[in-house]
Amino acid sequence: MILRLARKTAFAGLLGSACAAPMAGMAQDATQYFNVPNRPTLNFYGMTGLIDMPSGEALPDGQVAVGISTFGGSTRTTLTFQATPRIQASFRYTGIKDATFSAFDTYRDRSFDVRFLINKERRYLPAVTVGLQDFAGTGIYAAEFIAATKNFSGARLPGTLKATVGLGWGRLGSSGGIGSPFGSDRPAFVPGDTGGEVSADQWFRGSAAPFAGLEWQISDKWGLKAEYSSDAYDLETASDIFDRDSRFNFGAEYQISNGVRLGGYYLYGSEIGLNLQIQLNPNRPVARLRIPAPRPYFVRPSRSEAPQEYSTDWAASEAEASMQVRDALIPLLEAEGLTLIETRTTASTTEVRYSNDRYTATSVSVGRVARVLARLLPESVETFRIVPVVNNLAQSAVIFRRSDLEALEFAPNAPDALLAVTGFSGATPALPGSARNEELFPKFNWSIGPYVTRSLFDPEEPVRFGAGLALNLSYQPLPGWKVAGELRHRLVGNIDEVSTANNSVLPRVRTDAGLYDTASDTSIPQLYVSRQWKTAADVYTRLSAGYLERMFGGVSAEVLWKPVASRLALGVEANYVKQRAFDDILGFQDYTIATGHASAYYEFDNGYTGQLDVGRYLAGDAGATVTLEREFDNGWRVGGFFTLTDVSSEEFGEGSFDKGIKVTIPMNWLLGRPDQSTRSVSLRPITRDGGARLSVPGRLYEQVRSGHRQQLVENWSGVWE
Amino acid sequence: MNKAFVRMIGATFAALSLAACSSEQNGGEQGLPRLLLGSVQEIVSSRRAGPLPKIELTPAMLAQANTAVLQINPEVRGGSDFLRRIETRRDSFGGTVEVWRASDDAQVFLRNGVVIGTRGIGGDIIAANAAVTVNALGTRRDSGGIREYTVSDGDVTATSLKFRCDIRNLGEESISLVNQVFTTDHLRETCVSSADPTVQFRNDYWVQKSSGLLRKSRQWMGPAVGSFELLLLND
Repeated sequence: MILRLARKTAFAGLLGSACAAPMAGMAQDATQYFNVPNRPTLNFYGMTGLIDMPSGEALPDGQVAVGISTFGGSTRTTLTFQATPRIQASFRYTGIKDATFSAFDTYRDRSFDVRFLINKERRYLPAVTVGLQDFAGTGIYAAEFIAATKNFSGARLPGTLKATVGLGWGRLGSSGGIGSPFGSDRPAFVPGDTGGEVSADQWFRGSAAPFAGLEWQISDKWGLKAEYSSDAYDLETASDIFDRDSRFNFGAEYQISNGVRLGGYYLYGSEIGLNLQIQLNPNRPVARLRIPAPRPYFVRPSRSEAPQEYSTDWAASEAEASMQVRDALIPLLEAEGLTLIETRTTASTTEVRYSNDRYTATSVSVGRVARVLARLLPESVETFRIVPVVNNLAQSAVIFRRSDLEALEFAPNAPDALLAVTGFSGATPALPGSARNEELFPKFNWSIGPYVTRSLFDPEEPVRFGAGLALNLSYQPLPGWKVAGELRHRLVGNIDEVSTANNSVLPRVRTDAGLYDTASDTSIPQLYVSRQWKTAADVYTRLSAGYLERMFGGVSAEVLWKPVASRLALGVEANYVKQRAFDDILGFQDYTIATGHASAYYEFDNGYTGQLDVGRYLAGDAGATVTLEREFDNGWRVGGFFTLTDVSSEEFGEGSFDKGIKVTIPMNWLLGRPDQSTRSVSLRPITRDGGARLSVPGRLYEQVRSGHRQQLVENWSGVWE
Repeated sequence: MNKAFVRMIGATFAALSLAACSSEQNGGEQGLPRLLLGSVQEIVSSRRAGPLPKIELTPAMLAQANTAVLQINPEVRGGSDFLRRIETRRDSFGGTVEVWRASDDAQVFLRNGVVIGTRGIGGDIIAANAAVTVNALGTRRDSGGIREYTVSDGDVTATSLKFRCDIRNLGEESISLVNQVFTTDHLRETCVSSADPTVQFRNDYWVQKSSGLLRKSRQWMGPAVGSFELLLLND
């Protein structure tokens, strides 16, 4: 009707005004209809707390916080994650200026913290947390504490008053001590120690000291803090970095926006400090995803009313019917951003295999295909088998009855009701007798665009950049086959000034990164040929050969077993690789190694995932990697990993063993429009040669999983979007 | 070091601002900086614009419309849109479902006039039950019950929101839509979240006495967009 009206002049102007704005129609800015959840503030260590002291509270579950604080020559940048409702974990990078206790002008160090919320705040009982600070590093911030926090509001005071008391050990027990309840043998901090070992033997040892503080949240925007600190700052004051004239700290904080808070402070009677606190929650997207509305589908007349409509004559020749369906489907799926690969139909069942290059959540694409089928197919087709395919790997078959789709589109609980009657099964490796989309192969893709690389935690310059242009080429001659390469040319940055000093006693499989950075502005990070295919409904296979990663080239083979509805997956990977030349063009060095792993993957409840890899690493060391991640339904992932091998901590060098954290953010969470890409960052406090794994492009598990039951169910509402 | 650093950052941004080109024509291959810039610009321009004015139809305009027209007036954003009916269906959940399409292709699902879903707005209502309300509008009697919404969180996950709702008939009221005057019953539905009593909304319904049609309403369209006014100008 609108279109017809639009032809008439009176309405034309009217509609014009309605359509002019970029988000005209019904789209709106998000409004704060629901209250912002309780959001405790951060201290100078980037964790929940007062000013320099911790508090007993936890962040809301899943919260991610970044704290950047500076005072008295110390700058601390901390990434904190509330991994479970009770466990909070942090990774921190610290720089201390004019640190005469170390060999560098600016002493830089990394530390991990972990906290456990023992008691959630209740009507009369405070929140109580026990925490370990810098529990596995050099120990410069090593401390343990127990803290209790209680909120008070009402009466004559506006806002909320938070009171905290606690008892600290280590650094937090260094001033105003009251004795050593659990023994007094606590080693002092040794600069230049390799660190990395969990120092359980010294936890809660040595002198204990009380600390306390008040935080007054005057309004949504403003807060005041005051505290009594139990940190003597022995190391810093001994090095004359600052004078500690008082035990009392004061500050005021201002909430700039929903996620950003800035505080100014007067610390230890001599220093001015600043603290920038950034908090966000993966469950609250920055921009709400707006998926274009789907077309409503056609509902068939009932068989008793119109039996002639249910004739099966159209499918007398299944090959011909399949071809007709294929020809009709190609443009309809293309309109939804999907690509038909093949289809096969009988009078009653249609199977569609397609690839999805638009929606992050596979469930949305499954729903779109189902709608297209319900609109298109003759009445006699009752069963839809919808098979998402990723690079020749048919992930799963999602099976709908057409009458369920028709009956439930406007049901009060449409997602759950449909899920209850949907089938998920393994997809066969191939679909014999299908009509294939003949236009797909050979396929050639190219892209040229900017790239950025970084080198972190170099003691001379903590952040180094390289940026330039990257040319990516890929050629797919047949389904599952791929020839791909990347050519890079660096234009700017200081990454080529990175330190190339190397004291590693192991084969230098990773510590020569600086030599790769400095050798050449032009490089070929990858150039390989690969083939992947399914050998059975639940078994996936990959073969790759060529320049697999920046530092190694060779051959790689992988087999993965992952049933559609199983939480467990098992895989084996074997590689034989040779170290590449530093200039990264096409040469090799002498070092070769056979490396490989047996892997087990498991999807726990509530989005926690685990992975165990056992095998031989690049330097020839044998051992295992444990990875634990929390995966949010929208694709956010935050986790950590560590690797223990038969390399001793002395041989390994600084850090003692390989470990790190990993954060993955789906781009549509930031952009609010369908986009499949993600940004992923792995941070290692230090990269050494022990426990280093080959980085092969196209590992199977992540490719396969997005179309399996667990991930489909997490985004099941998307079937109706 | 500082100057060098600033220059380096500048050069990095310059490199980033180069548009990425590729053989793929879809948006997924656009450079990240450009996409981010795009979304920031949209947010800024929509903030600066402020609420749009509501559009008042003239009788002449309405006379030219010879099919069903539903005018919607979003309260928070402002402005108006005129929706056309693209689907009418009866199902086993009581009443008649209508799908109305907006000028930007967004959709509103109504069951006997009561909102049970939206699509393409962002933070959409995926599904909702309306039996209690549909019943009350049919009988025009005071009533109450639980209303449950499945609301998109805007990241292809959904949250189920439960509200305890109370419906009261406030009596007869005469309303005018463009040049037509209707005698209606005015019913008001007050809903309080079962999880958090501070979360509330209110819906108003004006049901035409003679036909039982929901001629005018003000209904909650989910936490992302707030309430809309819906006017059935032509059925």
